[in-house]
Amino acid sequence: MKNEELDQIIEKSFRTEPGFQLSPDFATKVAFTVARKEQWKTDLREYLYLTGILLSLLAVVSGFYYFVDKAFVLQAAAFLSNNIVPVILIAFLLNFIWFADRVLLRLLFSRWSKT
Amino acid sequence: MQHFVCSCCQTSSMNDSELISQILNGNMNAFTFLVNRYQKLVVHITGRLIQRHDELEDVCQEVFLKVFQNLGKYRNECKLSTWIATIAYNTSINYLRKFKKGDEVDSDDSAALRNLTEYRSDEFEKADLHQYLRAQIELLPVQYRTVLTLFHLEEFSYQEIEQITGMPEGTIKSYLFRAKSLLKEKLKFVVDEDSLKLVKEISNEK
Repeated sequence: MKNEELDQIIEKSFRTEPGFQLSPDFATKVAFTVARKEQWKTDLREYLYLTGILLSLLAVVSGFYYFVDKAFVLQAAAFLSNNIVPVILIAFLLNFIWFADRVLLRLLFSRWSKT
Repeated sequence: MQHFVCSCCQTSSMNDSELISQILNGNMNAFTFLVNRYQKLVVHITGRLIQRHDELEDVCQEVFLKVFQNLGKYRNECKLSTWIATIAYNTSINYLRKFKKGDEVDSDDSAALRNLTEYRSDEFEKADLHQYLRAQIELLPVQYRTVLTLFHLEEFSYQEIEQITGMPEGTIKSYLFRAKSLLKEKLKFVVDEDSLKLVKEISNEK
């Protein structure tokens, strides 16, 4: 009899809530944290889409203009290839500013706002 | 990405697969609801394993972050609760290995079992029996606490516990049996007939 009673008491204590508590707004906090952590991926995707669209537009306009004024386009291409180093540097700088604006600064601001 | 629209009424009636597809479509409100639905399960597992109230919230948050990041990989091969419990278990074990009690996780039970406190009968308050038992459960080795929580508190089957922890079914049964026998032995030491009656009365009142 005593054994059965002990079993009952022990099993009851196994099923008793252990009393660990989370803050009442835990779910909301987690959702916001997750959204913030995932935000940079969205920003990066947007940056890549926009960059792709801009480059495509540039290619289409250049291609179209080639039929309108072939000499000008060839002259522009020659100018770019003759000044390849500064052109690459400027392109890199513009791309960095664009990337910083679309992704990097947003990521840093969200990190700072957390702290 | 952030859709914090008020769709509480819709999400509350959703089943798990509908909830998952909503989350994968970027509905953060559905994710909030998923956290609300499973936070008790996660807090029971992580709480019992890590035993740190001050870090419990951070570990639980890490669990749900992993749930969110891996939700796309979830296939309906097991219940969502089993899948989330697996993540909670692995995260807690990694936490123990990394920050706190690596020895406890990796060593055999004998050392941890020796840590179980010995109470003398005359120090023992009758009404504290349930509290005493809860304290004794917390002193059990981590594997024992895990299977006790999953089996008794969360009512997972042996197969589900096997999926969650990777322990063979025989080991799970053995841990459950040994945990129970151990606590019974300890109770026999501390409890006299009178206090047993008193506890039974309290249990029945609840």
